[in-house]
Amino acid sequence: MTRLIIIHLIHRKLNFNTVLLLLIKLLKSINRKNNLPVILILECILIITGNNHAQQSLDYKPPIKAKKQNNLKNDTNLVKQKDLYSPKNRLKFGNYLYSESDYLRASGEYKEYLKNFDNDTVRFKYSLCFYRMGLFSEAADNFKSLFFDPSLSEEARLLFYESHFFYDDYKTYHELVEKENYMPVVFKKEVDRLNSAAYFLDNSFLPDTTNLLRPFDDSVHFKLADYYYRKKHTASKSLTTAVLLSIVIPGAGKFYTGEVGDGVTSLIATVVSAYLAASNFHNDHNFRGWLFTGLTAFFYAGNIYGSATSAQIYNARIRFNLQSDIKLYFEQRNYFLPGLGF
Amino acid sequence: MLHAQPDKEKWGAKQISYELPITHQHDYSVDKSTFGMTILSFMRNIYYFLISDLDGDNCPFYPSCSAFFIQSVKETNIFKGGLMFADRFTRDLNLFKDINHYPIIKSGKFFDPPYNYTLNSQKIKF
Repeated sequence: MTRLIIIHLIHRKLNFNTVLLLLIKLLKSINRKNNLPVILILECILIITGNNHAQQSLDYKPPIKAKKQNNLKNDTNLVKQKDLYSPKNRLKFGNYLYSESDYLRASGEYKEYLKNFDNDTVRFKYSLCFYRMGLFSEAADNFKSLFFDPSLSEEARLLFYESHFFYDDYKTYHELVEKENYMPVVFKKEVDRLNSAAYFLDNSFLPDTTNLLRPFDDSVHFKLADYYYRKKHTASKSLTTAVLLSIVIPGAGKFYTGEVGDGVTSLIATVVSAYLAASNFHNDHNFRGWLFTGLTAFFYAGNIYGSATSAQIYNARIRFNLQSDIKLYFEQRNYFLPGLGF
Repeated sequence: MLHAQPDKEKWGAKQISYELPITHQHDYSVDKSTFGMTILSFMRNIYYFLISDLDGDNCPFYPSCSAFFIQSVKETNIFKGGLMFADRFTRDLNLFKDINHYPIIKSGKFFDPPYNYTLNSQKIKF
């Protein structure tokens, strides 16, 4: 009892209720009959004033001073005890890294895990890491290993096709779809849609609209048909027309391609230098006449060549803008692909 | 540390330089890949030394017209390069070229590389 009082005196200030409680305990410990009324009175006072705080004060235990230990030794013991590099912990850490989109490091952890255990989900996530990092060739190779897995075969086959599609090797993709060696049964429509999208994004060849639009829903047919006709019948400018126009009237080829400012400049430069050449020849200034003749030829030839390049750049710009529009359209709709549960 | 400005400094004439800082350095190296390129780069260096360095960096395009000519000849041949240069020179004369759709680089110049004008559609980049 005395020890209790001393501890409270050292570590905490005693309040009125605590003193009462200590006193009651002291009187009870003495165990005399005369103390009974006093104890009763003190307890009544304690109840009136509230003894919760006092009881908490009594339950207080002084902080035990931690002994100084060697931290390094402690950490080493912790590592030994917990075994941080166990496959289970590697998998946990890999999952954490994957959730944080740190796919490179997550793939490293999964690889270490797969050295000890074969788990199809982990292998799938390991392949997905490459897919998410944009390493589509490696992703396709890894997805191949899951083709005969009963639970994830269909998803792996779809992602195998997706990897080839996003690798931008559309020719190989078309060949893979035609062969149908790895075609998923459940996701066949998705693979066909990607095949059609590859035709839209590729510049080489366009099949007829019926086959191209079949895998898509009716709601997007109108928009895709519009892209199809814009791609098939691009409003391009003819290089030959631009050149012929420039031969007849300097700058006319640039007017044709929409470069009005450049066309006017070409016309003025050629006409003015030709006029100066003629004027100098007329006044018997032969040297200046030939000088301006050369300048006229320079502007005239440059205007013809410039009209051809201008038409070509115009066509390239039209194609580039259309391709950007198509790509954006598919990207915004995630290429009509289902979302992954991973 | 800041000090109070005495009167003599406050009212004294200040030397201000109106010289424009040099923001570009011409490449005076001689291209020795072919005999023609050696002569062309040598002539370009004479132009840089006698005209361009004194006149300043006035070409609104990047690469400048002289550099465009050298690059065009190197990419194609002297005849085609000459035509490309004639076209570029005419476009440079256009007073309203800023309305045109040239991409503008950090220095404020119009980016107009020669590979877009070689009549090879595969080389055109935006």
